[in-house]
Amino acid sequence: MGECILKMEDIDKSFPGVHALDHVHFDVNKGEVHALMGENGAGKSTLMKVLTGIYTKDSGSINFEGREVEFHNTREAQDAGIVIVHQELNMVGDLTVAQNIFIGREFMKGFKIDDKKMIEESNRLFAELKIEIDPKAKMKDLTVGKQQMCEIAKAISHDAKLIIFDEPSAALTEKEIEDLFVIIRDLRAKNLGIVYISHRMDEIKVITDRVTVMRDGGYVGTLITKDCTKEDIINMMVGRVIYEEPKTKSQVAPDAPVVLKVEHLNAGRMVKDVSFELRKGEILGFSGLMGAGRTETARALFGADPKTSGDIYVNGEKVTINSPQDAVKYGIGYLSEDRKRYGIVVQKSITENSTLAALENYMSGIFINKSAEKKVTNQYIKELATKTPNADQLVVNLSGGNQQKVVIAKWLVRNCDILIFDEPTRGIDVGAKNEIYKLMNRLAAEGKSIIMISSEMTEILRMSDRIVIMCEGEKTGEIDIAEATQELIMDKATRNIE
Amino acid sequence: MQALHGREGNVEKIKENPIVKKLGFNRIILFCVLILMYVVFSLLVPGFAGMARIMSVLNYVYFLGFLSLGVTFVIATGGIDFSIGPVMFCCALISGYSMMTLGMPTILALILSIVIGLLFGLFNGYLVSYWSVPPFIVSMASMNIAKGVAAVFTKTQSVSWPLKDDIEHGGWFRNLVSANGFPVGLIIFLAAAVVCMILLNNTKPGRYILCLGSNREAVRLSGVNTKKWEMLAYTICGILVGIAAIFFVGAYTTVQPGYGDQYNNEAIAGCVMGGTSMVGGLASIGGTILGVFIISLLQEGILALGFAKDIQLIVTGIIVIVVVYADVMARRRKN
Repeated sequence: MGECILKMEDIDKSFPGVHALDHVHFDVNKGEVHALMGENGAGKSTLMKVLTGIYTKDSGSINFEGREVEFHNTREAQDAGIVIVHQELNMVGDLTVAQNIFIGREFMKGFKIDDKKMIEESNRLFAELKIEIDPKAKMKDLTVGKQQMCEIAKAISHDAKLIIFDEPSAALTEKEIEDLFVIIRDLRAKNLGIVYISHRMDEIKVITDRVTVMRDGGYVGTLITKDCTKEDIINMMVGRVIYEEPKTKSQVAPDAPVVLKVEHLNAGRMVKDVSFELRKGEILGFSGLMGAGRTETARALFGADPKTSGDIYVNGEKVTINSPQDAVKYGIGYLSEDRKRYGIVVQKSITENSTLAALENYMSGIFINKSAEKKVTNQYIKELATKTPNADQLVVNLSGGNQQKVVIAKWLVRNCDILIFDEPTRGIDVGAKNEIYKLMNRLAAEGKSIIMISSEMTEILRMSDRIVIMCEGEKTGEIDIAEATQELIMDKATRNIE
Repeated sequence: MQALHGREGNVEKIKENPIVKKLGFNRIILFCVLILMYVVFSLLVPGFAGMARIMSVLNYVYFLGFLSLGVTFVIATGGIDFSIGPVMFCCALISGYSMMTLGMPTILALILSIVIGLLFGLFNGYLVSYWSVPPFIVSMASMNIAKGVAAVFTKTQSVSWPLKDDIEHGGWFRNLVSANGFPVGLIIFLAAAVVCMILLNNTKPGRYILCLGSNREAVRLSGVNTKKWEMLAYTICGILVGIAAIFFVGAYTTVQPGYGDQYNNEAIAGCVMGGTSMVGGLASIGGTILGVFIISLLQEGILALGFAKDIQLIVTGIIVIVVVYADVMARRRKN
């Protein structure tokens, strides 16, 4: 193993309401693949953002190639040789592969962009990586796997010395993952440092040399991969938290009525002929790879995006849902995976957010009845155990888990019976995660019906009564929890991909 | 570094004082600026401190105040309206022409002014919310439309509204601005401001306008008809612009087609200075009132110091940039 290329020591970072990084250590050697593990919200992404200059650290030191560094933006980090291959790819779909790879540093011929040279350079990069992609193809026409390869090519073209892979496999098929591993091994052989962030234990065992585990924003420990077991890593990741017992059989009464029926739903390119039923008190898990069309299905069902065709029945009655307004009228609430953009109004108070969907119930004449508003908000703060000094607190000051509770409160205040949770624990720290699970189980027991979209296999298996699996916009399977295994789900989730 | 930290700590402490919290830190500073400006101008210009000067400043406050109140609602949604000045002129020209040349009764002319403002507001709001045309483009276009329509209607002639003793033409309306030296206009303006304050803070439209200005998608996904409420913000603005026109002619009598642009900047400056954020979601009517007083006093002061009107334009232009820059910086620091 080579010499140390990156050493992060005692890194500390706080956001309002959250201690995101608590004196974390992390180091990478040359010619090493180092896994960074932890559950959602453990602080992995924050640590990498501190490294690449997106966030400024509060204290601690970063040593890169023997020099103390502090980057102020990703550009500076790139110039030094640190590059991230993002989970969500940062590509301009309408530009060609070559144009994307050299975006921001185009080759020039006088005043003209030298497209020919960029294509040549791209071909050279692809040859180096032993992959076949046409540099003249439009980026949006490539599969997710190929797009990822382009990201890697782009990273290498920056003369990278340290490459960070942020959940690279989330959207890839088995075959594509194998291709990715060939490339990663190649890069390792070239003495680059590689950080590999992933949730998938199997991959970690196959591709990495060392594992560093984070939990709750803190550093837990570093292990040599070949000397430890999966269980060692899991124990370090989960720590003291005792999770809700995974379900072994459905908790739904056999005669529970169907509250929501979706038939032959089509919307855009991502939702193709999807049909399913949701029963009263049920948690229906939606599993699949990234980009399988689960969020798109939820948004089309909720009226957030237009649908091409399909019928929706609520409590047996056929309904027309063309906008979120319609959906809310029929008692459907949607909790987005991206809370800050689609869930909460961050600069407003908990009260204002809680009554946002049901303001008409808190009016006296033309005036808002602020005391009634506050009363109901306080009631839900208590009921959901939201941690806040008071109901006037701006939502921006709350932690992810508490923000999620505010969104849940919003739909409960509106008295919605069908709740769609899209990645309910994304960006939520480990302790709060189980609270959300408990809450969801309680809501289901109280007769609410829940659709839960999740990319975390453990979450799907822990929470669902029944599981719908999607792949490339189609429903490829439906399994009762009693029969569900990780292998069965993965098999169905990649069924349509060659 | 340490010293700086200490100072910020003190500011935090002041902000937590209950009286300061009630009035708003920003507004207290603005009030001090206003008083300071008045003192400075009084020292620099002999006779500035007199009642005549105050009445003159108030004349400016009335019409600019209504413009600023109006544009506050639009900016609260995260939008912008560059048509308010020219639309105000359009209202004044068409209703004035209808009254003086076509013989329309004064009371109807005043209503007509408000209706024209309302129509422009509906037009802007509809295009912005239902057709998703950027507010910048919409208001630039309707600014030109307002100028053009007014010029066509009045055959490019300027229009003079009747003087107070011109009873035949209905000069009584000037009592709305001032009656026997009593500033009636100030009472009406402050009453309108209170109505706006209640509208913004205590009613459903106000709540939705502020929330959608802060995060439109989240509000839409909560099942709120965001388009409707956004259009309403522009419509409220239009109505207030129509009222502004009445106070403009009430104070300055003559209106010429093809002008009015300069008041856009002044109104927007007053509003943003008062703490309404250009990116939407935050608005303060009390702040807008103070901002309007500051801008009006400044305009009067510049003239009193003996500078030409052009200097007013330069100063207002710079103020807009400084104030908006300060807003941007404040936001960045918070994040």
